[in-house]
Amino acid sequence: MKDLDLVSSHAAAHWKTALSDRLDPKWREDIDKFELDILLKKKGKVEDRVFAETRLRMGAYGQRYDNGHRHDGNESRVIPFPTDLNKGPETKWDAPGMERIKLPWGGMSAEQLEVMAQLAEEYSDGILHVTTRQDIQLHYIHIENCPSMFRRLAAVNITTREACGNSVRNVTACPIAGVCREEAFDVTGYANAVFKYLLGHPDVQDFGRKFKIALSGCKHNPCGLTNIHDLGLTAVVRTQADGTVKRGFEYVVGGGLGAVTYDAKLFSDYVPEEEVLALTQATCRVYARLGEKKKRHRARIKFLVADMGIDKFREEVLAERAKLPNDPRWTEFLATLPKFEEKPLRPAGKGIPKTNDAAFDFWCLTNVYPQKQDGFLTVTVTLPMGDITCNQARALVDISRKYLKDTMRTTVEQNIVLRWVSEADLYNVYNDLKAIDLAQPGAASIVDITACPGTDTCKLGVSSSRGLAAELRTRLATKFVQMDEAVRNLRIKVSGCFNSCGQQHIADIGFFGISRNVAGYIVPHFQMVLGGEFINNGGRYGLATGGIASKAIPGVVDKLLDLYMTGKTKGEGFRHWVERTGKAAIMQAVADVAAVPAYDKDKSYYTDWGSVREYNVKDKGMGECAGEVVSLTEFGLKAADREVFEAQIKFDAGDWKSASKLAYQAMLFAAQGLVKMYNIDISDDADKVMAEWKERFYDTQKFFDPFAGPRFAQFYIHAHDERGAELDKEKASRLLQESMLFIEAAHSCNLRLSMGAEKGKEGILAATKSGSKA
Amino acid sequence: MDLQYLNWKVYLDNPAEAEPDEWFKVWNDWIPDAPEIFIDVADYKHVQDGPVILLVGHYVNYSLDAGGRELGLLYDYKHPLEGSNEDKIKSGLLGTLRVAKRLEDEAGFKHKPKFNAGSLRFIVNSRAIAPNSAETLEAVKPELAKVLSKAFGADGFTLEHLSDPRQRFTVQVTAKGNPSLADLIQRLA
Repeated sequence: MKDLDLVSSHAAAHWKTALSDRLDPKWREDIDKFELDILLKKKGKVEDRVFAETRLRMGAYGQRYDNGHRHDGNESRVIPFPTDLNKGPETKWDAPGMERIKLPWGGMSAEQLEVMAQLAEEYSDGILHVTTRQDIQLHYIHIENCPSMFRRLAAVNITTREACGNSVRNVTACPIAGVCREEAFDVTGYANAVFKYLLGHPDVQDFGRKFKIALSGCKHNPCGLTNIHDLGLTAVVRTQADGTVKRGFEYVVGGGLGAVTYDAKLFSDYVPEEEVLALTQATCRVYARLGEKKKRHRARIKFLVADMGIDKFREEVLAERAKLPNDPRWTEFLATLPKFEEKPLRPAGKGIPKTNDAAFDFWCLTNVYPQKQDGFLTVTVTLPMGDITCNQARALVDISRKYLKDTMRTTVEQNIVLRWVSEADLYNVYNDLKAIDLAQPGAASIVDITACPGTDTCKLGVSSSRGLAAELRTRLATKFVQMDEAVRNLRIKVSGCFNSCGQQHIADIGFFGISRNVAGYIVPHFQMVLGGEFINNGGRYGLATGGIASKAIPGVVDKLLDLYMTGKTKGEGFRHWVERTGKAAIMQAVADVAAVPAYDKDKSYYTDWGSVREYNVKDKGMGECAGEVVSLTEFGLKAADREVFEAQIKFDAGDWKSASKLAYQAMLFAAQGLVKMYNIDISDDADKVMAEWKERFYDTQKFFDPFAGPRFAQFYIHAHDERGAELDKEKASRLLQESMLFIEAAHSCNLRLSMGAEKGKEGILAATKSGSKA
Repeated sequence: MDLQYLNWKVYLDNPAEAEPDEWFKVWNDWIPDAPEIFIDVADYKHVQDGPVILLVGHYVNYSLDAGGRELGLLYDYKHPLEGSNEDKIKSGLLGTLRVAKRLEDEAGFKHKPKFNAGSLRFIVNSRAIAPNSAETLEAVKPELAKVLSKAFGADGFTLEHLSDPRQRFTVQVTAKGNPSLADLIQRLA
């Protein structure tokens, strides 16, 4: 076997030479530099940390098990990768990773899709995965294959630069921009201008965290999701005094999902088109200058905007804008906008052909959108969990070439749209898609479930989001045709952890992965989030209602849908029904199907969806005494769960003051419960609980999440410091979310410590008995 | 031509009986204590015309593969190999047959796979090394035929170049007889 040296292999040299003339000189330089970084890293001349950020900025991300360990259901085993080299802190060089490919505004030509299919085949696992930010991701990539991949992508005008890392990520936009019947105007050219202007711009190289921008053509549809972005631009027009109509954007900043959701703040209701790039640059400069750099969990712009307040933030940005020297690119792009006006390949149709094909008719209902241009349609190709195989992708390329003029786009719901399909061709397009198994109905419906990679490939995944999504999709699809339209149009979104890549907060029914201790066994769970709003650009966030075992969720969803159908008033939307019914009543109604059977009765609950490994079994053989101490901790955590649930009910009833008080009290119970591991006599006094919890769990970092670090601990410290303060609705909502996350972190901390209890049991027992600190 | 990244696919004789969930479990069970470096098993049974269940390794991936809409075991060697092209072709084929045999003998299956050892596909998974052209066929054919002659006998097989230029270099191998996996392994080992 040869040493792995793909960078200088014959194949790599081939692409370097063959494609050299086709690459943009700047992009070629970026790739050459990255290739050199790989070689230097292999010679030990680059720090792990520095190389990690370098590769991230080229879209090369880590993947699960890249620390060289994998739990097989019984124990964690070392994956014996051949070299000791790392490609980042605790990230093995040989471990496969993920490559994120940026597709600005989701645009994708036939040639580009064909090349991505080739790359997936040659370097990945044969699957192209569409993400919730219109990117395409390839998994199981070896870092040394990246330069060849980048060259092949760059040759068809795709860059991966700044697809990950602390940079401006993919600029997303409505997938139906330009063909939408309700848009103010086509935002495609503007999205492209923002992408091009900021790519590699010196003002966006010093962020503390990532920065996501989205553009939308209207306010009320969900396609652009501007409200959940760091910067959201929504097209608006204004009629001038002379009667002319002028284009501009509503400009919002500081929105975000993540662990704790933030509503975007209105910066301006109208920024003229010629000012958009300049103002965006100024916003980026303020973020780079004032944004948090050290505390990663406070580094997104949403924290800066919330801390400063939108008025002060606006003042700062406008002052920055006033200082900026003029850049001709701010307005030059306006002359290029016409080139984004798409043209059809085929003549307009005169109505959709009549057929006797019921499946086609149903597919038309859910997957076909009549464009504003008469005779043309946009077709949604639903991709199960965003996945498409290389052969399907190539066949889709053929369909695109046969019926379209390079007018495919990816969507934030992990699908692909074919724009400018002539009505006359629709039945043929349907049959061509059907032949490659891509004519499933149900786009933007309850079966079109969004899921992040979760435990399949993500390092941060707690529960199997894709496994759950696949199961729900399979079950719901069997009754989809018979469903009432009110149920059919609901959205389900799933994330494997609290980070919200699956956008669960803006789903009618959302889930994010957590784990819970059930009678000494660790059981995969999801927090259920109800009543989020996808429309209005992700207009309102849902709230977590309670943890449910992964395997119980399909039953809970069925019950929930039944409850909604039988309980809703005529025309009542899901969110309104949730608010009217109350989360407590809903949770009570699903309690029977949510119950977790004992391990001896049904072991399947103790294994996650899409896994054959037992989720994780607590070490056996705990002594009686330790068992009692643990039960006191769990008693405290249960009390915290109850308290935070009460807080939600108060919040739903509009009693923010009580909700805030209870949310803090819930954190206190959780902290107290943890302290009881060591000191069963801990006082109820809030200051004393804080002091002892801080000493035992914060200062020792025992509470710190393996990935989020001190983030959740700081929620409690902050809440303790601010307790008693009057909170408005938004702040109370945030405190509630932070309380839930702190409690989840307390559960995780308890699990981690009890997993390690075998080693440290004697020490803990001794400390417990003596009341001393371990 | 220095052949690398060689793939072999051996087709299932009983594709209708294949249960992807069983393959998923079996391959998960193979990971601990394997002499190979395996990383994880991926489940892609929700997509068509590609991988169904994939055992991801450091050097080699195995997959229950439905590419071309025919179910079989795909053996994808991902790292550069030393030796002559004949050695590398033989090594990949032998590896494929051995995995297929192990799967046939695997106790973890309720629906045991049965492979058709007389129907194989040879793929070079690199368009840089082996464009799917007549020139590549000319360059590869002598050494490929040498290996196959050992397995099937000099006149015991036919080769068909699948020449779609958008696909990777692919040759379909069809045996004239009905050889077993064990026979082929014995002849090549």
